[in-house]
Amino acid sequence: PGLPWPIPAPVTSLLSLAVTSEQIEHLHRRFKQLSQDQLTIRKENFDSIPDLEFNPIRGKIVHAFFDKRNLRQASDGLADEINFEDFLTIMSYFRPIEMNMDEEQLDRFRKEKLKFLFHMYDSDHDGKITLQEYRNVVEELLSGNPHLEKESARSIADGAMMEAASICVGQMGPDQVYEGITFEDFLKVGDVSAHTKMHVRFLNVDTIAHCY
Amino acid sequence: MFLLLPFDSLVVNLLGISITVLFTLLLVFIIVPAIFGVSFGIRKVYMKTLLKIFQWATLRIERGAKEKNHPLYKPYVNGIIAKEPTSLEEEIKEIRRSGSGKALDTPEFELSDIFYFCRKGIETIMDDEVTKRFSAEELESWNLLSRTNYNFQYISLRLTVLWGLGVLIRYCFLLPLRIALAFTGISLLVTGTTVVGYLPNGRCKDFLSKHVHLMCYRICVRALTAIITYHDRENRPQNGGICVANHTSPIDVIILASDGYYAMVGQIHGGLMGVIQRAMVKACPHVWFERSEVKDRHLVARRLTEHVQDKSKLPILIFPEGTCINNTSVMMFKKGSFEIGATVYPVAIKYDPQFGDAFWNSSKYGMVTYLLRMMTSWAIVCSVWYLPPMTRQPEEDAVQFANRVKSAIARQGGLVDLLWDGGLKREKVKDAFKEEQQKLYSKMIVGSHEDRSRS
Repeated sequence: PGLPWPIPAPVTSLLSLAVTSEQIEHLHRRFKQLSQDQLTIRKENFDSIPDLEFNPIRGKIVHAFFDKRNLRQASDGLADEINFEDFLTIMSYFRPIEMNMDEEQLDRFRKEKLKFLFHMYDSDHDGKITLQEYRNVVEELLSGNPHLEKESARSIADGAMMEAASICVGQMGPDQVYEGITFEDFLKVGDVSAHTKMHVRFLNVDTIAHCY
Repeated sequence: MFLLLPFDSLVVNLLGISITVLFTLLLVFIIVPAIFGVSFGIRKVYMKTLLKIFQWATLRIERGAKEKNHPLYKPYVNGIIAKEPTSLEEEIKEIRRSGSGKALDTPEFELSDIFYFCRKGIETIMDDEVTKRFSAEELESWNLLSRTNYNFQYISLRLTVLWGLGVLIRYCFLLPLRIALAFTGISLLVTGTTVVGYLPNGRCKDFLSKHVHLMCYRICVRALTAIITYHDRENRPQNGGICVANHTSPIDVIILASDGYYAMVGQIHGGLMGVIQRAMVKACPHVWFERSEVKDRHLVARRLTEHVQDKSKLPILIFPEGTCINNTSVMMFKKGSFEIGATVYPVAIKYDPQFGDAFWNSSKYGMVTYLLRMMTSWAIVCSVWYLPPMTRQPEEDAVQFANRVKSAIARQGGLVDLLWDGGLKREKVKDAFKEEQQKLYSKMIVGSHEDRSRS
């Protein structure tokens, strides 16, 4: 069945590149399944996805859906619930790169994806990834290992942070304090083209033969 | 003084005649063959006719949709996302390789490692393996039941008329017929088993009880218009064995028990079910548990063991998945029945959703609603495969044995073999599963970190 409302222009431009209207219909069905036929989704609705429990950064991923920075609504704050348009906005960060994109589009694309990840690290929304925030992420990613002591996770995070600092600021004097990784620094430190792996591809589907 | 108008008396006469005809039909074509285990083949003809009509209906929808230029909704059986089949290690290596180009033999934490988990998370949000299994399998052609079709609004007048006719037939003719049959079957079961229960124990009683059970199950099968094809009947379960099958709906019991003699296992219910259960156990030994006893695993195991060790008792019928799955896959088998040490006779049941979806989504429909849906579908068509018996090998434990049986069933029935626990439908994921992925990743990072700090 066709979509019950017209999709607003900003969203279509986001999606025009790699998502067909059929795929939007699918996402809509998935949205309805998650929201249990309501118009909006809340954080609790993500609890109904068993496979997601596998994921060590599950909390951050769900959080990202409600982060107003990702929803392009504000520079700070969390939404309580999101509607389908917001859902599509978040999904648009995971569009695969198309062959027919030009330089400018590619660059914008890449920055958007990296910004999404930056927001995941920067949990207090102040525009910088501090040492504590970095430690949080590493601890979450490594939290599944019962043999790992907190100290090890910390030292890994500290080491990585120092390396980031040295790339961005160069050698620091003993009194200098590295405040945190800003987005520009993130672009330098975060692997530049690794963002190409950050996409989800739709299956190209034809009708499947049905035999008795 | 009332004058009965000639019209009224005509209506009354017609009603009387049609009811008599209905009952004669019932008796001659359905109940009598059921008692003797004979079939006229009417159901097979019915099935073929229906198939032709469905094909026509689907073609009409597709043509109609093309004319109006609407996109047709086509269900995707394999999910909507192309999931990359690479492992966690390969992916993380690739992410890093495409990034900084640093030496790969000193793996350490990278900012970009989060990419992998982020993507995996979004993939599961978009399309989740487990939740898919629990909603009714989607069909690719329309079977004139509006409950299974999403393109319903794109049909033509002719098709609407046909659908309306279908509704009329299903609700006004088939439904009362089926309810009458079900009623007959159940009451015969209860009275028959109670009567047999008064006989002294012995061969006569066993013989009669088996046949009373069989006869009533056969009537119930016809009450659902179930068209069943049995394969490999030479592997049917013997006394002292345990019969294990995949579970899609409560009807599974009727389907299996109408082709063999089984002892049932289950919890005692109240109400009508309880009456039936109590009557059945008078005629031959079934294993019924009180609600409180169900929790006690040792008690359950002990009673089951006692039952299988007595060779004069019928084989036990068990559904180890513990809940109804939507018949596209087989979920984890609970190991209890595999610890007993008896011979296991696996059975695979596969329903053809073309004629009526037999899956019971117990969170969506109650039992009565479910039965009504069953009785207003066209038919239940399924295939049953009896697999060769399996025993537990000395080097495998109960869980491995259970998985082996499960794979055999899944392979035979063409179902997907899933490791997930069917209990997930209601509970949340056990933490043990969550840890696997995290452990693997952290081993990758930390293992090397410790190496480095040591050197």
